Amino acid sequence: MSKIHPSLEVNVAGIQMKNPVMTASGTFGYGSEYVDFVDLNQLGAVVVKGITSVPWAGNPMPRIFETPSGMLNAIGLQNVGVDGFINKKLPYLRNFNVPVIVNICGEQVEEYLEVTEKLDAADGVAAIELNISCPNLHCGGMSFGVDPKLTDELIKGVREKTALPLFVKLSPNVTDITVIARAAEGAGADGLSVINTALGMAINIHTRRPQLANVTGGLSGPAIKPIALRMVWQVYNAVNIPIIGMGGIMTGDDAIEFCIAGASAVAVGTANFINPRASLEVVEGIKTYLEHHKIRSLSELVGSLEVTEVK
Amino acid sequence: MPIPSKKFDLSTTVTSNELIAKNHYLLRCSCPEIAASAGPGQFIHVLIPQGSGLLLRRPFTIYTVEGDQITMLYQLIGEGTHVLSRLKWGDPIQVLGPLGNTFDILPVPNPAIIVGGGAGIASLMLLATTLRRARVHTFGLVGSMNRRRLLSVEDLKTIGVETHIATDDGSVGHHGFVTELLTHLLDTHEMQSPIIYACGPDGMLHAVTKIGLDYHIPTQLAMENRMGCALGVCLGCVCKVQMPEGGFEYQRVCTEGPVFNAKDIVW
Repeated sequence: MSKIHPSLEVNVAGIQMKNPVMTASGTFGYGSEYVDFVDLNQLGAVVVKGITSVPWAGNPMPRIFETPSGMLNAIGLQNVGVDGFINKKLPYLRNFNVPVIVNICGEQVEEYLEVTEKLDAADGVAAIELNISCPNLHCGGMSFGVDPKLTDELIKGVREKTALPLFVKLSPNVTDITVIARAAEGAGADGLSVINTALGMAINIHTRRPQLANVTGGLSGPAIKPIALRMVWQVYNAVNIPIIGMGGIMTGDDAIEFCIAGASAVAVGTANFINPRASLEVVEGIKTYLEHHKIRSLSELVGSLEVTEVK
Repeated sequence: MPIPSKKFDLSTTVTSNELIAKNHYLLRCSCPEIAASAGPGQFIHVLIPQGSGLLLRRPFTIYTVEGDQITMLYQLIGEGTHVLSRLKWGDPIQVLGPLGNTFDILPVPNPAIIVGGGAGIASLMLLATTLRRARVHTFGLVGSMNRRRLLSVEDLKTIGVETHIATDDGSVGHHGFVTELLTHLLDTHEMQSPIIYACGPDGMLHAVTKIGLDYHIPTQLAMENRMGCALGVCLGCVCKVQMPEGGFEYQRVCTEGPVFNAKDIVW
């Protein structure tokens, strides 16, 4: 039997991608940092570090801490601001044939709108990912993403400012993620990024001080993969817009799990810190799986979870 | 402090890994690409072998470069360094580097004064070697808790560094802080255009910074921090840096550093 050559191409919310593998926001900088390891042209899309209306200094140190199979971070969205991004970071990314998705955040609705307007006018932005789930901001950020009414208002506002595809990044720190997912879909989101980090903390028992200056932080890495998978599955069954699955993806097999649960594309995050080539190795792993199982197109796999009804 | 060249992620094997002082090991591995371009102050990011259950890599300064090989001198701190200490000849190891900026040795110091506290001296060995190769008169001030934990003194003497020791318990050398050796050295020597280079605990670096400012001597510090990616994207390893126009900025130890001008650090 001849070997099949599966197609890894996907179209997610109108964005045509060579493969379903993106970089998760905040784990790949603005792309240029990985130049020695990753040819950006081989990625499905690059999702850049969260951008705000003005540059943010970020949180005091310590900002990160390793926990079993994961890490906590409380960076506080240190970033160059939207003007800095457009003038200093975006021109580099325009050299590549890869969709650039810009993650945006703010404390007030007006900040999200200002950033959206500027990105909409810039050359080289394929889509916007609305971060309503950053756990490390004292106002804004996650406070939007845990309230369906605020989610609705924010997305409707941003939707008016741009025709670019709009992804909304959901927080796992909610009682029922499908409530927020439906609110986002209803307000005009084109796709959902599931999930952001899970709120956690760690303590130094000798000093009785928190391991992070911010006390709490976002947990990422393999530790949160089962939670992320569960939420992708729940959201897949609740909405009709595509899902980008993320949370602890280290290998192609991990990515396949997310696709079976309902993700049309995936994002590699913390794995980039451990293995700078992780994103490309996930692409290879997906290809190997599809070849092995003689699946011609990834779309056949999306949401293909077989569940035996319990009688 | 020029930002150097291409980075490599090398799958290599351990050549040797030996206990050199209480709680301190020296690991040697073959990394030709890293050895070829590593500069003083630069570091590597080492993957803790699989099965350890640990996720993130650990950063270590490059201690020496010997042909195709590099060495790293490390202190047993937590689980990661304990796993590393059990590696033997031939065991696989994954090494990312060379990372970060380098010490500035221009204009040429006369003399160079190296101040290392504890395992901090490890960050200054490659610098000392570079300086001595350029025949720069170099003082080495080495601080340690006690004689059993004393590091690098023989290595420094071998390359012609004029070395002085301070220990917390007085078991060897000056009984007291390494910073006391520094003020004594500055008070007793005529110096043309000295530069201080330091690495060690925060308290020591803060004290060295004050001495540098008091004596109007340019001072460079190699900073250390927990790291995530070591490639400049996770923003986990920052330190607080004074900006020339006022205010401060959090700069990445892995990218803008690890070497900073002491006067710019906000403590």
